[in-house]
Amino acid sequence: MAVTSLRATRARPRAGARPRPRRENRVAFVMLAPLLALLGVFVVWPLLHAVYISFFTWSFYDPAVFVGLRNYLNVLTDVEFVNSVTRGLLFSAIVVPAQVTIAFVFANLVKSVSRRMATVMKVTIYVPAVISEVIAAIVFALIYTHRGGLLNWFLDFFGIEAIPWLGDTVTALPAIAVPAIWIGMGVASLIMLAGLLDIPETYYECASLDGAGPWTKMFRITLPLMKNVILFLLITGFAASLQFLILPLLMTQGGPVNSTNLPNLFILQHFTTDLYVGYSIAAALLLFAVLGTVSAIIFRLVRSEKAMDA
Amino acid sequence: MRGAPGAILRYGLAAVFVVAALFPLAWLAMAGFKAKTEVVATPFQFFPEMWRWDNYARLLADEAFLRSLGVTFAGAALFAALSLVVNALGAYAFARLEFAFKRTIWVIVLTTMFIPGIAIMLTSFIVVTELGMLDSLAVLVIPGAAAGVQVFFLRQFFLSVPAVLEEAAQLDGAGPWRIFRHIFVPLSKGAFVVVGATSFLMFWNSYIWPVLTITDPELFPIQQYLATFRSERTSEHGLLMAGSTLAALPVIVLFLIFQRHIIRGVRLSGLK
Repeated sequence: MAVTSLRATRARPRAGARPRPRRENRVAFVMLAPLLALLGVFVVWPLLHAVYISFFTWSFYDPAVFVGLRNYLNVLTDVEFVNSVTRGLLFSAIVVPAQVTIAFVFANLVKSVSRRMATVMKVTIYVPAVISEVIAAIVFALIYTHRGGLLNWFLDFFGIEAIPWLGDTVTALPAIAVPAIWIGMGVASLIMLAGLLDIPETYYECASLDGAGPWTKMFRITLPLMKNVILFLLITGFAASLQFLILPLLMTQGGPVNSTNLPNLFILQHFTTDLYVGYSIAAALLLFAVLGTVSAIIFRLVRSEKAMDA
Repeated sequence: MRGAPGAILRYGLAAVFVVAALFPLAWLAMAGFKAKTEVVATPFQFFPEMWRWDNYARLLADEAFLRSLGVTFAGAALFAALSLVVNALGAYAFARLEFAFKRTIWVIVLTTMFIPGIAIMLTSFIVVTELGMLDSLAVLVIPGAAAGVQVFFLRQFFLSVPAVLEEAAQLDGAGPWRIFRHIFVPLSKGAFVVVGATSFLMFWNSYIWPVLTITDPELFPIQQYLATFRSERTSEHGLLMAGSTLAALPVIVLFLIFQRHIIRGVRLSGLK
């Protein structure tokens, strides 16, 4: 009893936001129970199990045999896996800069148009973000149709001959990048806009008084102050773009000649065809240990900076 | 960029954004009015030869299509409700209560945010198989309901609620449950709309997990229905486009109804 009351008086001063310093284990755990049970059964346990399986040759039918790091070695020395990761990086290199550029132009534009136009733009840019990848794949695949498709019909006006967009190893990956950009640009644009609106208007007014033109303001005020937002969008965009799966699955099945076989599709195909799943699990864990670490670090950096500002 | 030429340029560019965002959807809806052979055709025609309601009418009379929409709607509503209850209660505990191992548990919940679906897809599949959940609505609704991201978002929101409000209630002898119900729930409508709508949307648009866990066509959610339709009836482009339009419509309407909350939610999710 004495101990609890002592703790209570000690905790008082520092608990500005938390008026209840006493522990309320029972209530707290009843409230947490559904969350922890679901996360435990469907996220934490599967992750631990996956890590465990990655050290075995394991199938649904045979007893598991411990093989140490062999699955990981097999993955790292598999040319197909390395190629799919390289392809994923190339895909990101198309999608992410395009998305961030679109978002940047969009944000500056919204700031300079009338209020009503700004609202229309904010709503419309986000509409593609609610459309499923399945529907995006269906629409874009038909637009890209080689003979009789919308895009080639349009290009014909400029005398450009029909291109088999999804059937050519050179054009297929960029063709899939377009719906990926289309789906993702809304979120990026709105976050960019929030960052831009955070810059106090007085900075620009002062610069104007000193005779700074629009370009000077852009390079001396906007870009330096937006550095963190842009970095955040680059990293989250990178992590998201590396995980596109449904678009290549439905538009090209990874073809032609594997030219759109992105990392997640590569792993999914191994899941569904391999008898022994240790390999695909090792591949998935390897790829995403790296990605998860990168996003966790960025998350920390961004948040700690925000905390220091406050 | 001041003056008339600047304004024309600005509004021209704004129009480009609006068209780029909406054109694929407008074309989708319009292609739904086309006959079977018209969506892809040489010579190509942009507008349908004749605006025909056949495709839309046929789908709205098609039992399998309607059932799929119904399953998806019911599943998405259940999923949104379950996510709200589970994640909001958890978030409240983290925001307002003191309990043993709080920090450790919080770190674990945060960590789950960074685990990509594909890394645990196969082992989650093993779990739901062993629990006998395959081919049921439960396998679509339950496994993804608890989400670290949403707990994080809601906790941030709860932390911003001034402590004065509940101190008064505590003096009146209210416990955590009553404070949660009568102070936090009414104050959090905006945040709940964001969590509910994003959960609904996530369920509505999911495809890979249903493909793995649902084999009974009567339980196909709408995305699985569309993808199966596309691979089985490869020449029915007009019908497929009409079906996709009808499948996209509910979430577009949902977004338009709650757009103010959702847009604010997206902006908050960025950096604050």
